[in-house]
Amino acid sequence: MESSTDGRYRVVTRRRMPAPREIVFEAWIDPKGIHEWMCPGDAVSAEAILDVRVGGSYRLVMKGKDKDHVHFGTYQVVEPPSKLVFTWAGAENPADVTLVTVEFSPHGDESELVLTHERFSKPDPAQRYENGWNAIAEKFAAYLSRHSSEMKRA
Amino acid sequence: MVEYPQAEGLDRVFSALADPTRRAILQALSQSPSTITEIAKPFPFSLNAISKHVMVLERAGLVHREIKGREHRCRIDPDPLAEANLWLEHYRQFWEPRLDALQVYVAKKFKASKKGIAHGKLH
Repeated sequence: MESSTDGRYRVVTRRRMPAPREIVFEAWIDPKGIHEWMCPGDAVSAEAILDVRVGGSYRLVMKGKDKDHVHFGTYQVVEPPSKLVFTWAGAENPADVTLVTVEFSPHGDESELVLTHERFSKPDPAQRYENGWNAIAEKFAAYLSRHSSEMKRA
Repeated sequence: MVEYPQAEGLDRVFSALADPTRRAILQALSQSPSTITEIAKPFPFSLNAISKHVMVLERAGLVHREIKGREHRCRIDPDPLAEANLWLEHYRQFWEPRLDALQVYVAKKFKASKKGIAHGKLH
């Protein structure tokens, strides 16, 4: 969780990946790979049409039990095996275009992935209540220890 | 972010959380309310420096200071963090399970590629 220089907010997630970055990068640009890992939880499957080149588009359909979620965007940076930047919008609110940067760095036989999702616009005030403030307060200490390494000023 | 009345508050919260000492102070306060002296104990900083960090947290609304006589007791107020965090958490919750699944997927791929090399097949 960070505040970026333009005053808007971003989510940063770091993950150690149990494979070299070439394999991790490939998983992001291979529709068969995306089909396997992009649909956890409620999603039944994920279909991806990808045109992986700068200026190329992608379309991602995550099929849920009740309804499908469609996301689409355009690749802005394609630098195998180190960096992928693409715009990200959902069919429910196509004008709300955000930006996803995925960076892959080597760590011996493994690698680290840093995903930055940013350019969010206005927070939805209704959602604050929907998610339950009390539960958040209770989990506060756990939250801090879990995310403290990720909370940095951009 | 002038268009959103709560944005200035959010900025203060994010900026307060940007410092590791202040995050450690919050973590300690999440266990129990404490005086400045108690808070300062584990840190290699002066009382004055710790007090300044606490003031930043106060301005962000994350900490409240109760003054009884000469004793300043600080307690945590998680509401501003909850406010700052919840709508970002929505996006985080999107990616976390997918990155879990990605870890499993690439581990499988890596294993397969090593087997391929062992059998003389190059990928």
